[in-house]
Amino acid sequence: MARYALFPGCVMSTEQYGYEVSLKTVLPVLGVEIVDLEGFSCCGEPLKSINQMLTLTLSARNIAICEKEGLDILAPCPLCHLALSETKRILDNDPKMRERAASSLANEELKYRGTSKIYHIIDLLHDIIGLEAVKEKVVRPLSGLNFATHYGCHLIRPSEMGRPVDSENPQKMERILEVLGAGSAHYPEKPDCCGGPLLPVHPETSLTKTGQKLKAVQDQGFSGMSLCCPWCHKMFDSKQKKAGETVGAKLNVPVLYITQLVGLAFGIDPGKLGLELNLSPVDRILGGQEEAGA
Amino acid sequence: MSVIDLNSMAEAQAADRQEINERLQRLREEVSDHCYQCGKCTSGCEAHKLLELEPHRIVALLKKGLIDELVNSDIIWTCMSCFKCKERCPQKVAPVNILFALKNLAVASGKQIPGDFTAMLQSAMEKGLIQDVQQVNTRAGETRTREQMGLSPCSKPEDPEKFQMTIMTVAMEKV
Repeated sequence: MARYALFPGCVMSTEQYGYEVSLKTVLPVLGVEIVDLEGFSCCGEPLKSINQMLTLTLSARNIAICEKEGLDILAPCPLCHLALSETKRILDNDPKMRERAASSLANEELKYRGTSKIYHIIDLLHDIIGLEAVKEKVVRPLSGLNFATHYGCHLIRPSEMGRPVDSENPQKMERILEVLGAGSAHYPEKPDCCGGPLLPVHPETSLTKTGQKLKAVQDQGFSGMSLCCPWCHKMFDSKQKKAGETVGAKLNVPVLYITQLVGLAFGIDPGKLGLELNLSPVDRILGGQEEAGA
Repeated sequence: MSVIDLNSMAEAQAADRQEINERLQRLREEVSDHCYQCGKCTSGCEAHKLLELEPHRIVALLKKGLIDELVNSDIIWTCMSCFKCKERCPQKVAPVNILFALKNLAVASGKQIPGDFTAMLQSAMEKGLIQDVQQVNTRAGETRTREQMGLSPCSKPEDPEKFQMTIMTVAMEKV
C-alpha cells in the first residue's frame, strides 16, 4: 500500500473537516494509506505578505518532519502545496538558502534533505492512482450532474513552480469527474479567484469576488461546484450566504470537495464523507444521486 | 518568550530591510530590462476592477525607483496573489513578486500590518497555526468538533518554545 504523510495545513485542520474526513475515507479504498504526523505548523503561504523568509522556514520545517519518516507528502491545500513546492525548489537549487534554513531548523533538531516528493489530491488521483483505478471503484455514477470545476489559484499558477495542472485550462478534475459519471462544461470564469486571499484586508471586496463567481456558476445552470481547496470551500460554501448578500443575489449553489464526489460515486455513506458540514444546498446532489443509483 | 510583542517586532529591522531592499533592487534591474508596459498584467488582475490595482503601474513606479512611495501606499495590500500577472507576462516579469517584496519591506520598516494579518501572524508564532481549532456548524444547525468527526487531534509544534526560536532566528530577531 502506498503511504503518504498528510500535511494538513491550517484551514483544513482547524475548520474544513469535510475535506479531511472525505479524503481519509476515500483514499484507503484506492489503496493509499494516509499517515498523520505530529509537530506540523502553518506552511507559511498565508504569511508571505509579511515575510517571505518566514514562509520558507515554516515550509522547510514541515517538509523536514515528513522526511524524517521517509514519506512523500500529500498536501491537499493548494496554498500549502505551493509553499512546500516553492521551498523545495529554492532549497534544492540554492546552497546559501539551504544553509540558512538548516541553521533555523537546528533549533528543533530538524534537517531538510530534499528527499520527499510533494503531491496534491488532484495529481494523486489523476496521475498516481490513475483514472482507471478510480473508475473501477465507481458503483453509483454521478449521472446527469454537471459541475463547474474550481481548482484554486495556487494550484494552477505559477506554472514555473511545477503546478500539477495547466494554468489556463486545467482538465484533471474534469477527467476525474468524467470517470465518476459526471459532466463538467467549461465556463469563462473558471480560472478566477475565490476572493479568499483578500479576506484579511478587504473582507467586503473578498465576498464580492466570491459572490460574482458563484452567481456566474448559478446563471449558467450547473448542478454545483466541485473544488479541491479548503480556502476556496470556506468562501464558496461556508460564506455563500454572506457572499450572496454582498452581491445582491440569492445563491443556491451546492459546493462539494472532489473527494466527497469521489466518495459518493463509490457508494460511500454521506455521513462518512463529512457532507453534513457543507452549508450549501448539497441535499439536491445527494437526492439526485439516490434516484440515479436506485 | 511567552507572549509575542508585535510592537517590538515592528521596530526597524535593519538587516531585514537591507535584504529586502536588495531583493527590490534586483527586481528593479530585471524589470528595467524587460517590462515594456503592455498592460497584460493589469488586464487580467483580479484586484483591478474592484480595488483599482494596476500591476503595470507598480512596475513602472519601481522602475523609476519610487520605492518609499510604494511602500507607504495602501494599494500594495490589495493584491490577491492569484499569480495571473506572473503567469501571463510575455516578458516573464512578476508584479506579484514585486508586491510581496514591497509588503515585506513595509512590515520590516515598522508600518502597521493591515487587517487580520496581525492576528494570523500572532497565532502562527504562538501556536504554529494561523487560527485556533474550531467547532463548526452542520447544515442542520448542530455543531461538530474534530473529535466528533472522528479526526485525530490537530498536529501542532511539539515544543512551542523551540518552534518560536526556529522562526525568530530568520524573521524576528528583535522579538
